[in-house]
Amino acid sequence: MASVVKSIIDGVKEKGLGGFFRHLKNEGYLRCLPDGNLLQTKIHNIGATLVGVDKFGNKYYEKTENTQYGRHRWVEYAEKTRYNASQVPAEWHGWLHFITDHTGDEVKFVCFLNLFPWKYHMLRKYKPHYNICNEFVLQLLLLKPKRYGVEHKENLSGHGEEFIYHSKGHALNPGQRNWTRYQPWQSTNEP
Amino acid sequence: MAQAIRNAKVPPNSVNLEEARQRVFGFFRIACRSLPTVMEVYNLYDVATISQLRSTIASEIRRNDHITNPKVIDMLLFKGLEELKNVVNHSKQRHHIVGQYVIGRRGLEQQELASKEQGISNFLKDFYNSNYS
Amino acid sequence: MGLGLLASKAIRPTTRLINFQNPNNLFLRTIVSKPELRNPEPAAAQPEQPLVDLSPRTPVGGARVHFPNPDDAIEVFVDGFPVKIPKGFSVLQACEVAGVDIPRFCYHSRLSIAGNCRMCLVEVEKSPKPVASCAMPALPGMKIKTDTPVAKKAREGVMEFLLMNHPLDCPICDQGGECDLQDQSMAFGSDRGRFTEMKRSVVDKNLGPLVKTVMTRCIQCTRCVRFASEVAGVQDLGMLGRGSGEEIGTYVEKLMTSELSGNVIDICPVGALTSKPFAFKARNWELKNTETIDVTDAVGSNIRIDSRGPEVMRIVPRLNEDINEEWISDKTRFCYDGLKRQRLNDPMIRGPDGRFKPVNWREALSVVAEVAHQVKPEEIVGISGKLSDAESMIVLKDFLNRLGSNNVWGEGIGVNTNADLRSGYIMNTSIAGLEKADAFLLVGTQPRVEAAMVNARIRKTVTVNQAKVGYIGPATDFNYDNQHLGTGPQTLIDIAEGRHPFSKIISNAKHPVIIVGGGIFERKDQDAIFAAVETIAKQGNVVRSDWNGLNVLLLHAAQAAALDLGLVPQSENSLESAKFVYLMGADDTNLDKIPKDAFVVYQGHHGDKSVYRANVILPAAAFSEKEGIYENTEGCTQQTWPAVPTVGDSRDDWKIIRALSEVAEVRLPYDTIGGVRARLRTVAPNLVQIDEREPAALPSSLRPTFTQKMDPTPFGVAVENFYMTDAITRASKIMAQCSAMLLKK
Repeated sequence: MASVVKSIIDGVKEKGLGGFFRHLKNEGYLRCLPDGNLLQTKIHNIGATLVGVDKFGNKYYEKTENTQYGRHRWVEYAEKTRYNASQVPAEWHGWLHFITDHTGDEVKFVCFLNLFPWKYHMLRKYKPHYNICNEFVLQLLLLKPKRYGVEHKENLSGHGEEFIYHSKGHALNPGQRNWTRYQPWQSTNEP
Repeated sequence: MAQAIRNAKVPPNSVNLEEARQRVFGFFRIACRSLPTVMEVYNLYDVATISQLRSTIASEIRRNDHITNPKVIDMLLFKGLEELKNVVNHSKQRHHIVGQYVIGRRGLEQQELASKEQGISNFLKDFYNSNYS
Repeated sequence: MGLGLLASKAIRPTTRLINFQNPNNLFLRTIVSKPELRNPEPAAAQPEQPLVDLSPRTPVGGARVHFPNPDDAIEVFVDGFPVKIPKGFSVLQACEVAGVDIPRFCYHSRLSIAGNCRMCLVEVEKSPKPVASCAMPALPGMKIKTDTPVAKKAREGVMEFLLMNHPLDCPICDQGGECDLQDQSMAFGSDRGRFTEMKRSVVDKNLGPLVKTVMTRCIQCTRCVRFASEVAGVQDLGMLGRGSGEEIGTYVEKLMTSELSGNVIDICPVGALTSKPFAFKARNWELKNTETIDVTDAVGSNIRIDSRGPEVMRIVPRLNEDINEEWISDKTRFCYDGLKRQRLNDPMIRGPDGRFKPVNWREALSVVAEVAHQVKPEEIVGISGKLSDAESMIVLKDFLNRLGSNNVWGEGIGVNTNADLRSGYIMNTSIAGLEKADAFLLVGTQPRVEAAMVNARIRKTVTVNQAKVGYIGPATDFNYDNQHLGTGPQTLIDIAEGRHPFSKIISNAKHPVIIVGGGIFERKDQDAIFAAVETIAKQGNVVRSDWNGLNVLLLHAAQAAALDLGLVPQSENSLESAKFVYLMGADDTNLDKIPKDAFVVYQGHHGDKSVYRANVILPAAAFSEKEGIYENTEGCTQQTWPAVPTVGDSRDDWKIIRALSEVAEVRLPYDTIGGVRARLRTVAPNLVQIDEREPAALPSSLRPTFTQKMDPTPFGVAVENFYMTDAITRASKIMAQCSAMLLKK
């Protein structure tokens, strides 16, 4: 409680009152009033460590002591009004759902290392500082092929015909191929 | 309206040509009265107008106007009423109606008009139609 | 395990004692065995003879048995059934005559005997061990048994060995469904294997863009090695290593450049050598087979087009002993993807801005008819193409005749061509008859690129009969020994006057053959050359009552029929003064000769070269989509059948011209294909006798003599690029790859 008051006073001092209120609104505190889930998340955030932020802006928190088991890792979504669980990308999904301890930005770091393989020995030296527990997993992460991965997209069902998934023969599929079995003659305009 | 159609039957016993003729007119009336239902059911508002469909039905009936045997006319009426019942009861689908009655008839009529002189041989007609006549 | 247990329980008397003695009975796998199976002695030890079905049997595959010397026939007994066979037959061939099919992998009826697969083992009486039937000659009175336990055990054993090192590739192997190994293991193999070690694998070899190799699947039957060295004449493939480390390959990383390299795909019994363009495209049970004729060259090889739906998936040879045996050239086999590219599918008219606009048939035909009437009759010219069938050519000729013009000719036929005597332009010794020859004189023709199957026949004759080959023309390489006599007509004159040493060879030979190339028709002095050739023929006694050795090897599939129908140009420059030109598939004419203001109509199936000069395009059907009569270079008439439907809005060639004639008010009197064929019968009755070869009736010495001077320019090459000769092959990607990689530079 005291830390909350302290951070409020610090905030007002730094940004000025108008700036402070704008900051509140940006952070989504104003949305807390109609949205109880967000309020609970914000309350849970007090005393929690921010583990990382992903490319969409979702913030990932962890609070290990004094918390009920199962509620010690959570995400605060970037979009405060329209959020749903499918907005969590693949690299953070494992960490968020208690499947693994590798956070999303660690994977990013490893992939960054992939570009500079000579820095790998540095990583080994600084191993205690990073969350990599397993050499084998590290190797696997290094080997992960990126060439056929697509960007993460949230689940857009219900948003309209042009956003949802259609199979490749569906009339509304935008990228339909031409399936005729022959190629008609195209003039190359040279005699 | 649909009730009336479900109850309609063509008894196969026309005595003479006159009676068969009256039955044909009755069938045409029933068909025209069911057209708004058909338009509603299959959502043909953008595709065709009621008068177009009416003239389609009329041309279908007129295609067989050379027949004189009342029994044959009864049989044709029976088939026509069966088809009408299928259409009204939504046993068909939109693409059937569009293909058979809107484009089919209209396309053929256009071709009939477009072919200058009906003096072209069957070979040429089939040739214009497709390679495998 | 369960079944064996049940079976053993059924045979042995069931007693509770078994269960008492061994409580772990469930884990005992009993092996079912019968007393006969336990001692595999020769079947002669059996006391009683099984009854033999003595009704007459047909040989395997409906084969005909040829007795070269009827007095020398032997009798052997196959499973108790007596058969009469000629003297040199092997045991396997004797069994085939008796109708018994013996499994084999390395034996092929057209290749030499290897005897290394051991799958054809049969039991022969009085022989201590089973005998490889493909290699053992059949001796009179031999008793051959093919269904005894010894033979069956031998087959199962060989099968087991073969499958030991064979990878489990059936789901991804292209040969699945038509694989000899699969079929024979189901029919003759045992149900289980006993191999628990690691299988060996072999690196894949790169043989070119046509043949895909997965050498792990190879069972080292050496059929491909024998084919390449015997039939194709190139010693590309060989077996390296010994024992289980044997690998088939080209040791020197060479590509298989032979024009018959695709046949290795048919020959390989497993999926080691498969077709690269056809890899992973289809399974053989999805494909519909259509038996047609190939039109990429003048040989008219019999093929089977495998199609799935509207597209052709692959082309595979058909057996025809007289023309192509079982082989087809690479061009024939792999040109099918040209049928799917650059196809014309709508009638088009060139607008005033020079661009083509697709129209419908009514407009296109009315425009053409209109222009045809505005032009004077002698300014109308028609040219039929290389791939046109006989029906469309006769309809074109009739139509242009009705319009008043007689300037119709087939592509590649020069002005002075004498088409009166049939013996002057067909292969008078039929292709099968070439096998009897013992001296060849090739004048201005390179059979390896012009007609690969004829070349294969010549090679067969050279190997078997030790025939001598003399070649006049530019330097090319052959796959048999030949003497390069010269490059120009001068050498011909030398031979004709007897000064050249080769003329003695010709006069000494019992069956001499002279083959003149089809490129001669393009020369102005073709008559002089023919006269020289005839002099040689007269001196060498080449043309006799029982043997006619004077041949012309034509270049295109349509040339023989065109010459039969009389499509010869009347005058030298009818093309330069033409105002209305009708090109029916003619892509290789010299388009510069057509004047700038002429109205050109192109009727064809590919947008190749002539389309760019055309004013109106009428899309027609390709050879795989129409029923057409083609005559090959030896005069054998054959018919194609439609394998796939026509593309887009195209029509059959003859139908287009018939419709055009009706629109132009000169309606032709026939409107079904039967009518066209009846008309064909009045002009050239041999063209209606399908699958029959009509030899020329009159010898070509009846030609009128004349005195034109011979042009001393040396003979040229008629076919520069083997892989790109006509519209279909030029549109094909596979052929483009081949000509980039496989042509000898």
